[in-house]
Amino acid sequence: MQALAELKEQIRQALPDLDVVIGWQQGFDALHTRPLFIRSEEDIDKLVVNEFCVVNPASYLRELRGGKKVGLVLKGCDSRSVIELLQEDLLKEEDLTIFGFGCNGILNHTKLQARFGELGFIQSIENDGANVTVVVGDNKETVPFTELCADKCLTCVYPNTLQCSHFVGEESTKKPESEKNKALEEFEKLSLEERFAFWQDQMRRCIRCYACRNACPMCVCKDHCIANSREPKWLSEEVDVQNNFMFQLIHVMHLTGRCVECGECERACPMDIPIMLLRRKMAGVIRDVFAYNAGTNAEDTPPLMCFKVEEPTIEERH
Amino acid sequence: MKANPVLPDMATIMEVVEETSNIKTFRVRFNDENVMKNFTFEPGQVGQLSVFGIGESTFVINSSPTRMDYLQFSVMRVGEVTSRIHQLKVGDSVGVRAPLGNAFPTEEMKGQDVTFIGGGIGMAPLRTLLVYMLDNRDDYGKITLLYGARSPQDLSYQEDIAEWIERDDIDVVLTVDNPDEEWGKKPYEKAGLIPNVLKEINPDNKGYAVTCGPPIMIKFTLMALNELGFKDDKILTTLEKRMKCGVGLCGRCNIGDKYVCVDGPVFKYSELQELPNEL
Amino acid sequence: MACKFISNEDITLWLEALAKDHVVFVPVDDCGSVTFRPLAEGRKPVLDRVPVRSPKEAVFPQNETLLLYKYEKDLEDPEHSTVRIKETLPKERAVVFGTRPCGARGMTVFDRVFDNERIRDPYYATRRENTLFITLACNKVESTCFCHEVGSGPADTAGSDVLLTPVQGGYTAEAVTERGGQMLEASVFADGGNKCAEAEEVKKATREMLGEAHDYSDAPEKLLAVFDDDEFWEEQAAGCISCGACTYLCPTCYCFNITDEATGTTGKRLRTWDTCMSFQYTLEGSGHNPRSTKAKRLKNRVNHKFSYYPDTYEKNIACCGCGRCIKSCPASVDIRAIVKAAQARGAKKESK
Repeated sequence: MQALAELKEQIRQALPDLDVVIGWQQGFDALHTRPLFIRSEEDIDKLVVNEFCVVNPASYLRELRGGKKVGLVLKGCDSRSVIELLQEDLLKEEDLTIFGFGCNGILNHTKLQARFGELGFIQSIENDGANVTVVVGDNKETVPFTELCADKCLTCVYPNTLQCSHFVGEESTKKPESEKNKALEEFEKLSLEERFAFWQDQMRRCIRCYACRNACPMCVCKDHCIANSREPKWLSEEVDVQNNFMFQLIHVMHLTGRCVECGECERACPMDIPIMLLRRKMAGVIRDVFAYNAGTNAEDTPPLMCFKVEEPTIEERH
Repeated sequence: MKANPVLPDMATIMEVVEETSNIKTFRVRFNDENVMKNFTFEPGQVGQLSVFGIGESTFVINSSPTRMDYLQFSVMRVGEVTSRIHQLKVGDSVGVRAPLGNAFPTEEMKGQDVTFIGGGIGMAPLRTLLVYMLDNRDDYGKITLLYGARSPQDLSYQEDIAEWIERDDIDVVLTVDNPDEEWGKKPYEKAGLIPNVLKEINPDNKGYAVTCGPPIMIKFTLMALNELGFKDDKILTTLEKRMKCGVGLCGRCNIGDKYVCVDGPVFKYSELQELPNEL
Repeated sequence: MACKFISNEDITLWLEALAKDHVVFVPVDDCGSVTFRPLAEGRKPVLDRVPVRSPKEAVFPQNETLLLYKYEKDLEDPEHSTVRIKETLPKERAVVFGTRPCGARGMTVFDRVFDNERIRDPYYATRRENTLFITLACNKVESTCFCHEVGSGPADTAGSDVLLTPVQGGYTAEAVTERGGQMLEASVFADGGNKCAEAEEVKKATREMLGEAHDYSDAPEKLLAVFDDDEFWEEQAAGCISCGACTYLCPTCYCFNITDEATGTTGKRLRTWDTCMSFQYTLEGSGHNPRSTKAKRLKNRVNHKFSYYPDTYEKNIACCGCGRCIKSCPASVDIRAIVKAAQARGAKKESK
């Protein structure tokens, strides 16, 4: 990224007034980055911005509440979670400094794995924006970016960081490949019985590690989630379809109207359970009923956090 | 160790004593008389009480092995399991897994003076050792008890205390943070924080000191004992941690490579200093 | 060690024969992830990928019923009820097929804890005795592999009953235990012949791919040297999201919770995998929590594997180097890097 040097310079200048700036750094191999917490000048050089910067830095904000001055390097989708948190009064705008850029999409590990086997076997990977070239053993393959990128990138209409204090480089002109998520569309073609069977099979696989919950920028209950409460006891420790499904439904209901579809829950899931289907479904319902897109305008009040006698978008049956 | 260390023995509650507003003492006997007859333990060891459908929790066996009519547990109401235990009545069933953990070094302490310093529910583990020593009175030197609680109503084991005060082979001092109008009329009734009263009593520092209570009280009591010149390897305390299995498997009660459930709950102060700082 | 040969085609025959009197766990494609599931119609073993879940679940399932209980009302005195309990020891005989050497080695970490001179956990021990491990040596390595650094290797036999090594047309099979030897008496096995030399080459080549091994032997004291270095641990844990993915997928993590799960007047006492990364794990009734921050919790996990366990069990590291915790971590927290950083920081502290 050409603008990386400029971004680093912006951070360098802002750092004296900030407790920390959260971004990304190189991970244990070429396909992984990990979050970077910049606290000193030396840390700035570790910053990387590329198609493997999958983590949403806003997920760490709940740990930094309470007057800490926080800088964040955010993709467009990530920035929506910050706006939603601001809308819910869970953050103060004056505590945040957001560094934005134009994002051209991120690569999805699950799709790479489905295509090439274990990621750890991949020797090299190159992305020119349109195509990705992958080398595994003696095999070299070039695949269109759209076949390997995260699902959210295919429908993304916010490739540029929203509401940022700083912006580097050129704005992304990336247009969504489609309006609707293909996986959800396919899923909705199934019969009710087939859909139920699908979820039973997926929920059987859940190990209740709560990575989906903990990776979610909107899950602010932190250590006091009702899933862990023994009194009252909502969930059994039994890891079975019924209890796993119960947890996932509680999770999605708590996110309805709040979820910004950053996809961190699904990405974090070690079992690759497609829980974004549930999120997308509910976000679609909220769009249909309230004409509302979570985390796109800090001035909005989320529809499930207010009461209006007459909802302008709902036609009352008299 | 039993064939199945996580399987409780069934027992029945014989008696319930309401000690304070949030502490009750339960006296239980195993349903199987053979289990009762063969049961042995040492002062300081703990047991897990089960209320089936709610779960298990760890408590010290605070009766003395010298009196085996029943096993006694004192339970402070703090959470899910303890609240349910408080609802139990005489004749109700409980599961008991005991004895677990280590014990006070009663052999090593023979012939020595012993000062007991207990705070609140922390009196429970001291009671077992104190009764044991009184039942083997000739084996031990001067015995002093300093027992404190928030208010006079928060002092447990009133019956025992009355008996100990009558005896001339044990010195008893009671202290409360918040005295009422009645308090202080007797010479053994003091007011003030335990560590301060301890310094006032100024027990002979050549013997053993045994202390248990809330973490903050233990911390300042240890400092006071140090000041009084007690040796680190003659100061004993019992630790509490969240436990599940009680037999060193489930992992949560470790401090460094020591497990409170098997290497404790009794620790010497000198041993505590060797452990990583993670209380 | 006698070396035999089994062809790719005969593997299926062998597994089907074993399935007659065992539950045979095989790695299969389970909605895109590779997990161990009982052999059944339509489930084909996937042997060229590494199962995301570890084989420990065959011996230490995520949920294990410890006992059943039942309240019975006293008809004479309806105020009172008595409780009956019933021990529920496992009875199944099982085979785990196609685990990697790291996963099988994980069981040896369990063995020292669950079945020793002091204690024998009958649930674990019964399953362990009734479960055979047929392990597959590796011929490729991943970026997250570090078995060679924790005393293991891509052809390690620790914890296994049989070791298979991929060669042209099939696998060589070596018996590790007596029980493994009996399994190799099946008619599907031929004499190894020159395949055995080929297998040795595979083992050697895979070991070479891993390169030189970092030395973790002084980690116990170095980790303790940085125990109180909060800044260090906060930095290492900054990315951690306190989920349980690392511990649940780990072949050596054995911490558990015990809960009662009631339905009316009956119910069961359940043992469930627990995770030291969760806030609730050490939360006491009083509200006090000795490991209240994620930095303290991560410190405990790293210390348990690389310091406390080796100190208790003759220097054995409680990590099998499979890399699952690294690979499945949503934030790419890397335990190798943390221990190395602690060794370096500890050495610096000592030299001061």
